[in-house]
Order: sequence, then structure tokens, then C-alpha cells
Amino acid sequence: MLQLPGIYAEYIHRWLPELLYYALTTLYIAAASFVLAVAIGLVIALLRTSRSALLRAPAIGYIEIARGLPIVVLLYIVYFVPPQLMPGLDWRWFTTFIGAVVGLGIHGGAILAEVFRSGIEALHSGQREAALSLGMTPAKAMIWIILPQATRVVLPPVANYAIGLLKDTSLCSLIGANELMNDAKSIAFADYQPMAVFVLVAAIYFAMSYPLSLCVRYMELRMSHGR
Amino acid sequence: MGFWDTIEKKGWYFFTSLMGGWPETVVVAVASLLFALAFGLVVALLRLSRWRALRIPTIAYVEFFRGTPALVQLFVIYFGFPDVGYQPSVFQAAIIGLGLNGAAYLSEVYRAGIESIHKGQMEAALSLGMTPASGMRYIILPQAIRTMLPPITTFSIVLLKDTSIVWAIGVLEIMARARQLVTETLDSNVIYPMAGIIYLCMTIPMARIAARLERSRQAWR
Repeated sequence: MLQLPGIYAEYIHRWLPELLYYALTTLYIAAASFVLAVAIGLVIALLRTSRSALLRAPAIGYIEIARGLPIVVLLYIVYFVPPQLMPGLDWRWFTTFIGAVVGLGIHGGAILAEVFRSGIEALHSGQREAALSLGMTPAKAMIWIILPQATRVVLPPVANYAIGLLKDTSLCSLIGANELMNDAKSIAFADYQPMAVFVLVAAIYFAMSYPLSLCVRYMELRMSHGR
Repeated sequence: MGFWDTIEKKGWYFFTSLMGGWPETVVVAVASLLFALAFGLVVALLRLSRWRALRIPTIAYVEFFRGTPALVQLFVIYFGFPDVGYQPSVFQAAIIGLGLNGAAYLSEVYRAGIESIHKGQMEAALSLGMTPASGMRYIILPQAIRTMLPPITTFSIVLLKDTSIVWAIGVLEIMARARQLVTETLDSNVIYPMAGIIYLCMTIPMARIAARLERSRQAWR
């Protein structure tokens, strides 16, 4: 029978510092792809809510494709396809870390675009009309009137996305990015303690994501009371 | 060889090889969906129970499975369970892993659906002499299913996409075949996008159905 406490007593001083070091990489990947996803999401959401069908169509296409693809497949396409399509270029800068960030960013951009769109559309159109009648340009109305109010509405779903993203970074181990899950695999099979290592890693992921999900619950509670 | 040449010469071979993994993808997706639907309901009912001794473990289960990546859960089950004396096959591990993960998620959907039904409904059922169980079965759940159907459809799409990680424990589904083909021919520029298109052909129609369900639900209210 497996004696987890005994195993941890023996190995934890070796495992934990290493795993926590790679947990930091996981956080870097999550943070970088979050920023990229917010940027892509904003642009796509603005295109998606625009009046011209010429701008809307590519935005819709982007959202459908990037949301419809499994993240793993997207990561594989982003990381393995461009170097082979353009073999003449120097691809040494295109590390697994960058591939992971770009792949997760493209996927997150599609999810956040829909979140932002619902935030923009949730506002009464009178807000925009009032801003325009005060002599603001449409761009100014968007920046100073619509987006600040929409931010409030979208905060809980954006935070929910961030939790999902944190967990999804584990998929980057499948293209070989050196993050928490990848390191866990190498420790687990080197020391031949899969159960102990993967349970410990699950606990580390939980410790990172659970505070975030408590924040989301708090925000949702406040939103439903406030206003 | 150029991109189009590769498609012309080996496209059909790639397509048939990838589709060789399609049954595995579908079997894992459907089996873990059924498992998640059934087990999620049990979890939701326990979660709504009056007894703390039942509520607390289910809350812990839901929080833990929603707070950790599915990939880690699969690894615990497939590589970890033999340490405690149970060696699942790759299929069993994939279905148990995605099923338990999905049940934790679906139990919250069920709970929200059940709680959206007015309390008076259950009270009326009880006052007519129904037992709490038959009140749940014949009065609450049939009404709650309306609210639950759109998120369940969305969940099935997510689950179908999540099956693309089970090759990591050795199930030979679409993505596993894609990786094998790339090792064999090195044509990753054709193979991975083709695998992506196969997934899109499944997920985009499902997303359409989900959007339609969502709209018709709003029309009912």
C-alpha cells in the first residue's frame, strides 16, 4: 500500500523547490498570454461590434475558428507549422515559451472578444448617443464612456477566463514548454513516484487557482448587491 | 516539397489516417459525457442535501476537480492509481478522468438549474403527498432541464475539445494519429491544420445548436 506521508517526508525537500520554480514559469506563461488575449480580444470585439460587415466578417471568422479548435491542436499548429511553412527564416527565437504564449493568446483572444462584446452590448445605446451629442467623436465615446462602464460588467467573466487559462497552461507541457506539468512528469518518472508527484502538483495548481476563484465569487456577490 | 504538392500527393492518406482516430475521439467524448451527466446529478443532489456530512465531501470534490487541470487529473488516474493497486486501461483512465472532471462542472449546472425553480413547486408537490424524491423526479427536474440544456450543450463542446489531451496517456485518437503521421512524414504544416479542420467540423455545428437552444430558451420565458 502507498504511504504518501512517508514518501513526502523523504522527497519533499527535493521536489517542492523545483516544482515551485517551474510554477513560476507557469505563472509567466499565464500572465503573458493573458495580456496578449486581452489585446487581441479588445481589437476583435471592436471589429465584431462595428457597423461595417467588412470588418465584422473576419472578426466572426476568427472567433469561430479560435474557439472551435481544441487548445492542444492550436498550440501544435502555432508551434510546429510556421517554421515548416517558412523554412528559410531563422526560427531559433521561436521557443516553446513563445509558442505557448501565442497559442494560448490566440485562443483567449476569441473567448475575451465575446466577453467584451457582451459587455459593450450590455450598455444602453443612449450612453453612446449622449456622448456623441456632447460633441465627442465615436472613438472618444468608446474610450471615455463605453469601455470604463463595460469594464465593470466584464470583470467577473474575465477573471473566470483567467482561472481557466491558469489551468490550460498545463497543456503547454505537450509541446515541450518547461513549466510545472512538464517538470512534474520528469520528476515523477525519474523518482518513480507518479501518484505522490502528480497529487502534489495538483495541490500546487489548486493553490494558485482557488484564491482567484474566491475573488470571482466575491465580485459576483458584490455585483448582484451593488448597482 | 511545397505545401500544395504535399496536399495533392498525401492529402487523402493523411485524412484517412487521421479519421482512423475519430472513433476513439467520439467514444471517449460520448462515454465521459454520459458518465459526467449521471455522476454530476448525484453530486448535485448530495450537494443540495440537508446533511452536512454529505455536503462537505461533495463541495471538496467539486472545488478540487474544478481547481486543477484535467491533464493533471488524467496523470493521477493513469500513472498514479497503479500505486494504490488499480491499473486502469488508457480508455478507462481517459473516461474516468474527463468524466469526473465534467461531473464536477455539470453538478454546478444542475444545482443552478434546480435552484432556479421556485421553492413553492417542491412544497406543492409535498403537500400533494409526493415524496421528496418523486417531487424532484417529476416536478423539479423536468422544469429545471430547460435552464440546464444550453450549458450542457456548451459543456459537450468543451468536452469534445478536451478529448484532444487524452493521447498524453496513450489513447490513439485524432491528435495521437496526427503526431504519429508527423513522426512518419515530417509534414506538420499539412497534418496539424488538417486535424484542426476535423475538430472544427465537429465543434462549429455543435456551437450553432447551442446558440439556437439558448435563443429558444429566451423565447420561452
